[in-house]
Amino acid sequence: MSERLARIIAGLESLPQDAFELSRLLARADSHHVLGQLAVQNKNKSPGKVKELFEQALTRTEFDHRMLVFEMNRIERAIEGTCLSPVLLKGATYVATKSKAAKGRRVSDIDILLSATDLNEIEKSLQAAGWEADEATDNPYDQAYYRDHMHELPPLRHRTRGNIIDVHHQLLPKTARYALNHAQMIEDAVPLPNSKLRVFGRKDVFIHSCAHAFADGALDTPLRTCVELYYLFLDLDQEEVSQLADRAKALGGTWPVAIACWWIAKIFLLDAANHVARQLRHPTRGIALKWAIQSKLKDGYTAPLAKFYMYVRSHYLRMPLYLLVPHLMKKAFKWRPKSDEPVKLTFPKV
Amino acid sequence: MPKNTLGTYSETDLRKALSAGTFTMEAGSFTHLVQGHSSYLIEFLRDVYRDYPISLYPDEVVDTSVRVTAPNILRRFIRPQVIPDPGFDFPSAPLPAHMAPLAFEMGLNLTVALKCARFVSFHAGVVEGPKGAILMSAESGGGKSTLTAMLMEQGFRLLSDEFALLGLGEPVLHSYPRPVSLKNESIPIIRSVAGADWVSEVIEDSPKGDIAYRRARPEDIAAANRVAKPKLILFPSYEPGLSPMSQKLDPAEAIMRLIPASTNYSLLGEPAYRALVRLARETVAFEVSYGSVEDSLRLINELYADLEAE
Repeated sequence: MSERLARIIAGLESLPQDAFELSRLLARADSHHVLGQLAVQNKNKSPGKVKELFEQALTRTEFDHRMLVFEMNRIERAIEGTCLSPVLLKGATYVATKSKAAKGRRVSDIDILLSATDLNEIEKSLQAAGWEADEATDNPYDQAYYRDHMHELPPLRHRTRGNIIDVHHQLLPKTARYALNHAQMIEDAVPLPNSKLRVFGRKDVFIHSCAHAFADGALDTPLRTCVELYYLFLDLDQEEVSQLADRAKALGGTWPVAIACWWIAKIFLLDAANHVARQLRHPTRGIALKWAIQSKLKDGYTAPLAKFYMYVRSHYLRMPLYLLVPHLMKKAFKWRPKSDEPVKLTFPKV
Repeated sequence: MPKNTLGTYSETDLRKALSAGTFTMEAGSFTHLVQGHSSYLIEFLRDVYRDYPISLYPDEVVDTSVRVTAPNILRRFIRPQVIPDPGFDFPSAPLPAHMAPLAFEMGLNLTVALKCARFVSFHAGVVEGPKGAILMSAESGGGKSTLTAMLMEQGFRLLSDEFALLGLGEPVLHSYPRPVSLKNESIPIIRSVAGADWVSEVIEDSPKGDIAYRRARPEDIAAANRVAKPKLILFPSYEPGLSPMSQKLDPAEAIMRLIPASTNYSLLGEPAYRALVRLARETVAFEVSYGSVEDSLRLINELYADLEAE
């Protein structure tokens, strides 16, 4: 169902007519956080109630984007008077550059990237502007773990607004099996008009998104990811597409970019992406990974197995066993102080 | 095409549609797709929702979907439990199987509170009389539902017990007549005035205490597409032994108190603010405090009588 939904989001297929199927589809899109993108593509083709529901979904994404633009402005204020020039990542980049991938996209936090030497200064600037360690990771173990092994500082949450910033100093964990040449990417980033904030060039934006999807994490949001990769690919002009394979190789992103291009070519019947995939690797390699990706997207009977495979794989990629095993043990048997206070629930964003 | 009411369907048909998740229920401004296998849920729906228009298969896209389901496969069979699944991650505590009605009501409320942005929604009860509608916004335990149910007895139309739905254009209130949820000591009070037939069986010892539902009347449900003009905003507070008192509020103060009662004010942003200002212009607002149901009714009736007739 999700493969079809992905194509409907991209405008390659039309919405089902049957009210039950359509209701289920909208609910599914919503739970995968792609209802806004579905809305952008289909709002004007839809009558009455469906249109209203799409407008409602866009209200939500407009709220997200308002939050994001506001927070970008607060970051600019926080670094006023410093020489820092952070690079925006992911959602923030798409919104700031008005990418196709931004339209109707939900955004929950803001990610920025700086070179490791600037970390102290940015952390101090952000703290002075009201961001502080998020409660969830504000303990000695997590703080040290992030700082020693991860590619980002522990998340910072704003004291009053509650919004989260992830400050990265590289694009994949320090301990990961793969690394992108983030130094080169930071150097090649370009400033936004009238701003100290910078963004990657469009090729690098695509390459980073590929790495995020396939060299880090367990592809927990397959539908959202494939739609994002598709739109980022469409953002590239012909010249950029022709340079993509070389740029991916130069930055160390050969393998995730190849998989991503194979995937969007398959779902969205995109010849240009298929061509890039073939430039980068032999088409029969990575059979298991390809199966798992598709299985997770389709969410059928084999999905739990695929999920398990991707979970194990994500940890295998993230850190060597001698670090992983103690870490998982620590997480599993986390010491929690006894308290009479009722458990505090943190409400997820919906 | 007017739909048949739930009461006209056989239990077998309802059970099939609920299992398949095609059961669709209309309540004023919203339609809900409901899925569940629980016999307790079916029994509850057949009792409390018997007068609602439903269909066994949706003929139009629905607003929200709710599933009442076991937290895991084991809990479907062994010491069964239920949780509401509103279609998004939300931490809800599993309830024993016989509390499926509560899980259902909570699930519906969640989807409306967090997913609906076609209106500015407030946690408030709304009833309508000849001079216009009264909106009552109170914290949980403030006696809002009891008041709503008592005012229904005086001939007021039920628009909603849980959510006031304010239009983003015209300052009108849209209806969402769901059963009125009664807690603890208010259950016998309402049962005695409304008649035992209008109040559901009591779910005892739930996390919220004893709970029962006062059914919406067929005329409330039938009038569900008619909007109401708000005239009076009340912020009731109940404390046993308190002497009755009312204090008029500035429109600005009323707005500032309504904002935290809204479930989607910040989501909607400016349009919600503008709608609130229009609402405040059309209404008078009071803080009312009281120590007994009789006092609260007398107080509210006085305030309502003082309103100018249209």
